[in-house]
Amino acid sequence: MYRQTLFRTGITTLCLAGLAIYAAVGGYFASEIVLEIAILAIMAISLDIVAGFGGMHSLFQAALMGVAAYGYGAATVLFDVTPALAVPAALLLATAFGAAVGFITARTSGIFFIMATLAFGQLAYNLIYHTRGLGGDDGLSGIPRLDLTMIGIKLDKALPFSVFALLLVLAVYAIAAGVMRSGFGRMLVGVHSNQARLAALGVNVRGTKTGAFAISSALAGVAGILAAQHTQFVSPELLAWTSSGEVLIVVILGGLATLAGPLVGAICFVLVKHEVSKLTSHWPMIVGIVLIAAVLAGGRGILGEIERRLAAQQRPRRVEALKEVRNHA
Amino acid sequence: MGDPAFWILQTLNAVQFSLLLFLMSVGLTVIFGLLHFVNLAHGSLYMMGAFVGVSIATTTGSYWIAFALAPVVVMAIGAALYLGLIRRQRRSSPMNQVLITFGLVFIFLDVARIFWGDIALGLEVPAALAGSVHILSVDYPAYRLFTIGLGLIVLIALTYVLDGTGIGAMIRASVENETMAAAIGINAERLFFVIFCIGCALAGLAGVVAAPIFSAATGMGIAMLVPTLIVVVIGGLGSLKGAIAGAFTVGFVETFGAAIIPDFASVLVYVLLAAILIFRPSGLIPARG
Repeated sequence: MYRQTLFRTGITTLCLAGLAIYAAVGGYFASEIVLEIAILAIMAISLDIVAGFGGMHSLFQAALMGVAAYGYGAATVLFDVTPALAVPAALLLATAFGAAVGFITARTSGIFFIMATLAFGQLAYNLIYHTRGLGGDDGLSGIPRLDLTMIGIKLDKALPFSVFALLLVLAVYAIAAGVMRSGFGRMLVGVHSNQARLAALGVNVRGTKTGAFAISSALAGVAGILAAQHTQFVSPELLAWTSSGEVLIVVILGGLATLAGPLVGAICFVLVKHEVSKLTSHWPMIVGIVLIAAVLAGGRGILGEIERRLAAQQRPRRVEALKEVRNHA
Repeated sequence: MGDPAFWILQTLNAVQFSLLLFLMSVGLTVIFGLLHFVNLAHGSLYMMGAFVGVSIATTTGSYWIAFALAPVVVMAIGAALYLGLIRRQRRSSPMNQVLITFGLVFIFLDVARIFWGDIALGLEVPAALAGSVHILSVDYPAYRLFTIGLGLIVLIALTYVLDGTGIGAMIRASVENETMAAAIGINAERLFFVIFCIGCALAGLAGVVAAPIFSAATGMGIAMLVPTLIVVVIGGLGSLKGAIAGAFTVGFVETFGAAIIPDFASVLVYVLLAAILIFRPSGLIPARG
């Protein structure tokens, strides 16, 4: 069950404020890094809803992102739709795709579920790759950014755009936390821990799973539209299944079912990647070793591990207090 | 298109690709059926087979030494993986297995880059199989015919071992009910280890056999992993007959799809997989009825 603890609120605020300051003082390169982090963080938070809380480790999150990115790109470039209209259309497209896959795969579990999501992700990848109208493997370029000059924000500059991206991360985090604290979120966690019991209680298990996918897909769509506007270019590589695996790695490293964890994971992943690639070209090797070590260490991730230690420290005190209360009674 | 030679050629290509898929997927599916372990690094072992094969062939100058040794080397890598990591993870959740072996995929990718570089390495077809053979009124490369023959031999040998020998009975019993099999005196742990090694050796064999056709490249492991997983899921996890059925289904759909509708051949396979997962989630021929 999700709790928006003071610790998590603090970590999230700290991370976002730190990134904003970094972007403000670090120049163009820092803005680019912050954008990369923001896109990955939104992806990881969206995946945390289905993977962390719902226990459905899907491998097609990158495909959802790609579908939204292509939806936005195709609408603006090929059909001259204004960005303000293309955004909701692209979000709707990703949501519909994700909800449909969620509905179809809801009955499978374990390795079959993982394979099924992988298959649908690859299906989207191959369809886009082979559709000449969408540019095939060359992709689509010349995608416009949102026009916010009305309220005095110029998104064509690196710094305002990266701050805008951080605000989106905050919004996505708030939506995800709100959903997980609602009755629906509690139901999703219940379905994860005991599906049969929840079904016996009259909960619509399939509907709950589909709903979780729909919300997760919409949020992944935000990342997709952001990515398309960032580089102003989309290519089928966005949908590669290895990217979905990468997002899953970020969630695992940060801490499943914590929402703040994926944000921490995304920051660590991108920063370490840039630092490591300055020193050595063996980034894949390091990712592999760290991933295996993280799983062998219990799979709680960075934030999960910190929270567990904090809880372990507090527990003796609580026991003391409880004893005192009993003595008085 | 109306030319019968074209279709004969496509059929031979489809059979050849199906048998390569079979070599890859049979190890994966039997490992899953017995150990309940999902090994995403299976594709990486295939890649290692190809690279090790290329290295042995260039140092010794003989393809046949590479052909004999590469599977053994890959089997040794697999044995080390099993003893060091996989044996301990057998009882963990499918997700942890996927993550750990996904980590191995990254590590193998980098190992291959360190030792063999990023450029694809070709391998000469052995001199004895260099030409082409006139068969069924078409000229077909002798080496590809050789891979068809090899695949068929492995297929028949494995069918015989599984259906007609004591070891095969032990394997089938362990897949059916591991606890019961252990109770009647089958040393499941040792059996698992042997099966895992054989599965890895077959992946290595597939790699060294594929090297002269596709050449060895760092991306080949990941590229092969997805079709192999599709074969396993379509066929039904854990069964030899399922692996055969799945390999031929995917092999033929992909080859003929590429010949008839070139752009959407790869989509066809995924549509097929999605349909199987929706209508027959345990695959065409599941190991447990």
